[in-house]
Amino acid sequence: MRKVASRLSRPGAAQRAFVIGGCAAVLLLVCGGGAIFSATARATPKDEATAGSSGFRRLNEAQYVRSIEQIFGPGIQVPGRFDPPLREDGLMAIGDGRVTVSPSGVEQYELRAREISARVLADDRRATTAPCAAGKAAAFDEACATAFFARYGRLLYRRPLSPSELGSTLGIARAAAQSSSFDKGLEAGLARLLISPNFIFRVEESEPDPAHPGGRRLTAYSLASRISFLLWDAPPDAALLDAAAAGDLYDSARLGRQVDRLMADPRFEQGVRSFFSDMLGYEQFQSLSKDQEIYPKFSSQLAKDAQEQTLRTIVSLLVVDKGDYRDLFTTKKTFMNRNLGALYKVPVDAAGMEGWAPFVFGPNDPRGGLLTLAAFLMLDPTHEGRSSPTIRGKSVREFLLCQPVPKPPPNVNFSLVQDVHNPEHRTARQRLTIHRENPACAGCHALTDPIGLSMEKYDAVGGYRTLENGAPIDATGTFDGKSYDGLIELSRLLHDSPDVPACLVQRSFEYGAGRPADDADGAWIEQANQAFAKDGYRLRALLRGMVTSPAFARAPAAKAVGERVAAR
Amino acid sequence: MADWTKRSLLRGFLGGAAVSVGLPLLDLFLDGNGQAMAATGAPIPTRFGTWFWGCGVNASRWFPSKTGHDYDLKEELKPIAPFKDKVSVFSNFNCVLDGKPNLVHWSGVMATLSGCAPLKGGVGGGSSELPTIDCLVADHMGHGARFRSLEVACTGDPAVSYSMRAGSTVNPSEVDPVNLYRRIFGSEFQDPNKAEFKPDPEIMLRRSVLSSVKEERDDLMRSLGAADRQRVDQYFTSVRQVEQQLGAMLEKPAPAEACLIPKAPPKMTLGAEWETAVATHEALAQLVVMALACNQTRVFNLALSMAGSNLRKEGEANSFHALTHEEPVDEKLGYQPKATFFMELSMSTFATMLKLMDGVKEGDGTLLDHSLVLATSESNFAKIHSVDSLPIMVAGRAGGKWKSGQHISGGGDPSSRVGLTIQQVLGMPTTTWGEGAMRATKPITEVMA
Repeated sequence: MRKVASRLSRPGAAQRAFVIGGCAAVLLLVCGGGAIFSATARATPKDEATAGSSGFRRLNEAQYVRSIEQIFGPGIQVPGRFDPPLREDGLMAIGDGRVTVSPSGVEQYELRAREISARVLADDRRATTAPCAAGKAAAFDEACATAFFARYGRLLYRRPLSPSELGSTLGIARAAAQSSSFDKGLEAGLARLLISPNFIFRVEESEPDPAHPGGRRLTAYSLASRISFLLWDAPPDAALLDAAAAGDLYDSARLGRQVDRLMADPRFEQGVRSFFSDMLGYEQFQSLSKDQEIYPKFSSQLAKDAQEQTLRTIVSLLVVDKGDYRDLFTTKKTFMNRNLGALYKVPVDAAGMEGWAPFVFGPNDPRGGLLTLAAFLMLDPTHEGRSSPTIRGKSVREFLLCQPVPKPPPNVNFSLVQDVHNPEHRTARQRLTIHRENPACAGCHALTDPIGLSMEKYDAVGGYRTLENGAPIDATGTFDGKSYDGLIELSRLLHDSPDVPACLVQRSFEYGAGRPADDADGAWIEQANQAFAKDGYRLRALLRGMVTSPAFARAPAAKAVGERVAAR
Repeated sequence: MADWTKRSLLRGFLGGAAVSVGLPLLDLFLDGNGQAMAATGAPIPTRFGTWFWGCGVNASRWFPSKTGHDYDLKEELKPIAPFKDKVSVFSNFNCVLDGKPNLVHWSGVMATLSGCAPLKGGVGGGSSELPTIDCLVADHMGHGARFRSLEVACTGDPAVSYSMRAGSTVNPSEVDPVNLYRRIFGSEFQDPNKAEFKPDPEIMLRRSVLSSVKEERDDLMRSLGAADRQRVDQYFTSVRQVEQQLGAMLEKPAPAEACLIPKAPPKMTLGAEWETAVATHEALAQLVVMALACNQTRVFNLALSMAGSNLRKEGEANSFHALTHEEPVDEKLGYQPKATFFMELSMSTFATMLKLMDGVKEGDGTLLDHSLVLATSESNFAKIHSVDSLPIMVAGRAGGKWKSGQHISGGGDPSSRVGLTIQQVLGMPTTTWGEGAMRATKPITEVMA
């Protein structure tokens, strides 16, 4: 378990440490080498500063596509395949800082760079993108090319090009122009910028922090990228880069104005969607399938609709209504369309038949809150033909409570869990009892199963049911020592658990910083938890406090992120 | 079993994706030994590939009882019968953990392929401590070919790949035959047997662009920390490889007499439903085989599915992986019938790959004779994630340098001995390979000619 969590003084934190610690102890006693290893690895973090922090984060596919659109305008097709992303320490945003690009990945970037450049300088767009008219083959318009690369170089690299970068880009352009045309030269130079790791990766650089002698902070441009990717999931626009150049980002009032501007922009909604898609594991939707014979209502469109419904619910509550984050677990308000209406068996009004319409579940409807919506209930790519209480419980622990669940020991016999023909074990609860009675399994399944079993009245795609294989489903459980019956009651307990908002604080910080929170962040996180409560758990206030805090701009003191070199 | 074979073959042909193989080679191009191209004097290149399937085997139905050339084929290995004299089977070669964790559905495959039991990973993938063998082989003999290696996977997920440089980045797989075709045989393909050749100035320009990007390396290395520098370095290594690929396209390709440019495959559904995956395998494998025959690459990696295999049957609640853990053993049969269906399916699918490779005539033999294909899975018995006696086969003869068609027992040695042997047979100056308990020092001399 991460140190930062154990540092926290909230009452829930001690309990959380105990639960996970208790499980690790069980595993140490009875499990194979896997658990022992992971426990040891966590106890002795080796060179956390270098392992945890990354100044080199690969743009994900959506960020790449959004960059192209923001910089060159809409309508440019981004072709080719991207290297697969990676989830590490609970977030794709952290995995982006642990991967590089394979040779076939570079092949794709090269192809993409050529096609995008050609589109940027195509006849229909050239007038707005190029600062001069198309030249003759022989004449290389140095001033025009320089203006063109300086402008797009700054937007692509998210900082001004260095003289040597500009020089080498102009060199390529000149060579290409000689053998072909001036525009071909611009195209080749632009392609070069698009293949550069300074575009494909977010390079974070640091400098000595004048406010903290001996400490380091991100450079203004690196900070600008952190802010815009957190709030928009997109690169800084020209205005934010100008603010960075003017030193505004180190002045709290002027920084505040930039943050307000970014949050007032429609792109903020996109940023919130991206963050929650990462936090809730939505990349798993990409390969999600359910068996058609068992779940005829499932389709890839239903999976898309389910995601969209939850994201709309989140945006509406947190961004539009500026509501309390905890209410996401209990709110009856959501959005409905025709497809989901059929799944939930609720009437959909005319607007919903055409697209999306606001919808309020009735007081006795077994729906209310994120966990009762189809996106959460169906998001299990490992089981196509049934629901898995263990996976659902694990999702709640890991995604919503930031409590990692250890992996199962390697030598488990699962047959009894699956044998649905055994009359003694008709429901998942009866089958999973076997795990809980086996000491090798009990520790971790005690973390996951009670939560998951109380969701069993919702099948693997989110449909409601009361029987499994003819036997009534028992959806009772206990959470944090409190008994409850059913998912609605569990959701209420989660709403009231201090671990729920604490997890959001931790995850949003880690998402922005691209690394797991460490001890040095503990003080800020503790203070942020208090401020979050005081502000009524408002997301905007949390994010505003984060991006304007020195903790967000802090760079690891140890040379993990180097100083910008004078040679440039 | 025979049923699906016919069906998938039929699908392949009906789908229009089938390539007729077995073009007679004009003897006139061979020297007296039938080994080298008379026109160029260049020997027929040796190729290397990996073929991966998930979730292992039933040991008693898969491993032969008899060792040596006269080994017996048990039920699950029957599909390879037509190629038995070209396939070596290895038993009792282990993933030796020596205190490291058994990362389920990960340790076994990475130990065999990288020579080191990994420290991080599990059923969804993980990281590798050392580069996998295909990267080493490609470094050694991939130069000059247009692609250093080709990765393909058959269930629609590009993240399914067991080819990695050290770290967390996989060499992702092509999953769509249409895209793979475009990549290999699209507009950039140069027919090796065409008489005239003119280097394309467009390609020269593209190479200069990549070369110019490399100028940013030093600045980045100076401004980043140690862990990041390694990834920056890997990025530029990838850039260099693409640069070399373009360089190869600026030279007249050596003639490849077995090269037949296949027809573009039709758009097909992708996914983990088994008939879909097997049809995809056939379409991808045909393209890979022709890429080898046309000298577009010398190295390939093919994964039928991910290690925790999600292959499934329509209407069945559980995938292959879930079945291995949860399906009871049938008392009468002595195995899990539903899970075993997929194990047998994996072997029949491997046999399809062998058939395609053996159908391409080259010199006095076939493409398979000029290759080594390392086929393996991550588990022995997936139900309990056992990594002792991993199922391993090596098909082909490496142009006569590998004594094929034997069953060899390793007596509990690390499975990396197979990889060490392959490297030595391919002429690499590797004397020991791997790290820790997986470090191999002795090649398997029985297979070395």
